[in-house]
Amino acid sequence: MKDTFLLVYRNIRERKTRSILTMLGVVVGIAAVVAIMSISYGMQESITEQLSEMTDIIMVTPGSAELGSFGDFGSFTERDLKDVERISGVKEAAALMGEMQEVEYRGEKVMVEIVGIEPRDMDAVFGATVKLEEDGDSETSASGRELRDNDRKACQIGYSVANDYFNYEIGVNDRLTINGSKFRVIGVLEKQGGFRSNVDAQIYVTKRDAVTIFDTDDISTIFVRVRDIGEAEGIADEIEEQIDDNHKLDDFTSAMAMGGAIEELKSIFQILQVFLLAIASISLIVAAMGIMNTTLMSVMERTHEIGVMKAIGAKNRNILFLFLMEAGVVSGIGGVLGCIVGWGAAEVISFGIYTAFDVEIGVVMKLQVLLAGVAVAVLVGILSGLYPARKASKLSPVEAVRYE
Amino acid sequence: MIHTENLSKTYMMGDVEVQALRAVDLEIKDGEFIAIIGPSGSGKSTLLNLIGCLDTPTSGAVFIDGIDTGKLSENGLAEIRREKIGFIFQQFNLIHTLNALENVALPMFFAGVGRETRIKRADELLAKVGLGDRMYHKPSELSGGQQQRVAIARALSNDPEVVIGDEPTGNVDTETGNAIMGILKGLNRDGRTIIVVTHDAEIAAYAGRTKRMRDGRVLD
Ligand SMILES: Nc1ncnc2c1ncn2[C@@H]1O[C@H](COP(=O)(O)OP(=O)(O)OP(=O)(O)O)[C@@H](O)[C@H]1O
Ligand SMILES: [Mg+2]
Repeated sequence: MKDTFLLVYRNIRERKTRSILTMLGVVVGIAAVVAIMSISYGMQESITEQLSEMTDIIMVTPGSAELGSFGDFGSFTERDLKDVERISGVKEAAALMGEMQEVEYRGEKVMVEIVGIEPRDMDAVFGATVKLEEDGDSETSASGRELRDNDRKACQIGYSVANDYFNYEIGVNDRLTINGSKFRVIGVLEKQGGFRSNVDAQIYVTKRDAVTIFDTDDISTIFVRVRDIGEAEGIADEIEEQIDDNHKLDDFTSAMAMGGAIEELKSIFQILQVFLLAIASISLIVAAMGIMNTTLMSVMERTHEIGVMKAIGAKNRNILFLFLMEAGVVSGIGGVLGCIVGWGAAEVISFGIYTAFDVEIGVVMKLQVLLAGVAVAVLVGILSGLYPARKASKLSPVEAVRYE
Repeated sequence: MIHTENLSKTYMMGDVEVQALRAVDLEIKDGEFIAIIGPSGSGKSTLLNLIGCLDTPTSGAVFIDGIDTGKLSENGLAEIRREKIGFIFQQFNLIHTLNALENVALPMFFAGVGRETRIKRADELLAKVGLGDRMYHKPSELSGGQQQRVAIARALSNDPEVVIGDEPTGNVDTETGNAIMGILKGLNRDGRTIIVVTHDAEIAAYAGRTKRMRDGRVLD
């Protein structure tokens, strides 16, 4: 075995440039597959992680349904909220008020989205995924605390508001001016990013304070959690009907069951993954043709040598094995390099997505993907080498020796 | 013992039949040193390739130690070439990517001989043909005579009973040719059967028996 490798190695090295070019084809193919696999696993993971808590949510907005943004299409009333709470199957319903307001910190003014919410509803809206930032405040080990019902002129701020919006970083107990009145920061939220990056850019106050700042008690979004995800679609329809009735309008309300939307999103990603893999596979097919071509050329060039080997006693399968090994080794090395390059490429893509869109998609490098990458490379090599190798092994000794 | 019966080989050149070998009956005894001599195109190589199991006849048969080689599979023929016959070519035909030692060890490699035994034996064989100090040289770093001696060592790799040479001295000068024939003579003295094809009467003089060929026939 070791000596077969030696023989194969000598032959590969003798045609170094060609071997490297052939290998390059495999490297590109495998790298593409590995990178796509690990990025899409990363995407899947971040979707699942970020959205799994949201499957039982129905988001009710006036007009069009857009994840987490407040439209200017109208607003809901306390009565709407009460009616929604009464619909059977609804576990919790929380009202959110939202408006862009001028926020001042150390003389700097920035427009920020202010969200008014009943502190007790925070959990219903956020679930367990949105937490206070873990941080240096040694006593609490978190940045501040949650909002409470009896808080006045107090706010919780999103990560980006705290760190990026103003020249100076904002911390717990700092004071902001929102629409002219002073607010104390009682908590800084953990960075969310991805599908919840809107949370990073918001300031949370109690509903009572929001009414004062906005000078209205209009509700811009109603967050609903249902008991049974299976009923979510039905309940969403009921909510739309009920609120449209209240306002005596058609299509005034849009209630979106997140579960369905999330499933849809997931299947879109799966289709995307298959599509990208199909494209990557084309590069593998090209690589396979490269290997076949190289091996065929190698067989042609070495016809005489094959004849000599047969004349001194090589069996057909000795020759077959030699050429298969040659193809397998070239593509196997290509596969290993492809995995490394693919991994690197995945990290680069992930970093690129992060800097361009501020969405964190981790690279999920599964051992199976790497092993499969190398295995596929070797398999492609051997399969592409099969035809030329068989051709070589079947050469007649006299004719091959005579061939110059 | 090797003998041929009614051995014929016909090549088709387009529509023209070329009868390279016509009903050759030849017997070569164990331990014999036979030279086959004849003009170019008389069928010497054709005969040798058939005896060496590199080719198959159009009709007739080659018997090696009583085995009808025509009845053997491709694998069976490969085994005969590997174990019973050592072939030496006019062009030396060493594997140019391998050094002298590896070339000599190659037939043993195909025979599945263990690595250590292979190296030891290849080492001994090279020493025997006077190349103990050239073991790690590639063929391109050796003279024609040295390459032919590596080829002889390779032919002896699996200790065959028969060594066949198709003009083994055809590509070397007279002096080297004599040295090579000396080695073959020595092998014959050790009990091996030697069959050599040549144009050269002087070379044929090393053999115990000489056969002439003409137009695909062996003359008496
Ligand atoms: N593969 C082939 N196809 C067609 N004709 C062939 C083939 N091999 C040999 N011949 C013909 O068969 C005849 C015998 O050839 P062979 O090679 O046996 O001669 P030879 O005695 O070895 O000659 P030389 O001394 O030149 O080597 C020649 O006429 C040759 O042209
Ligand atoms: Mg000849």
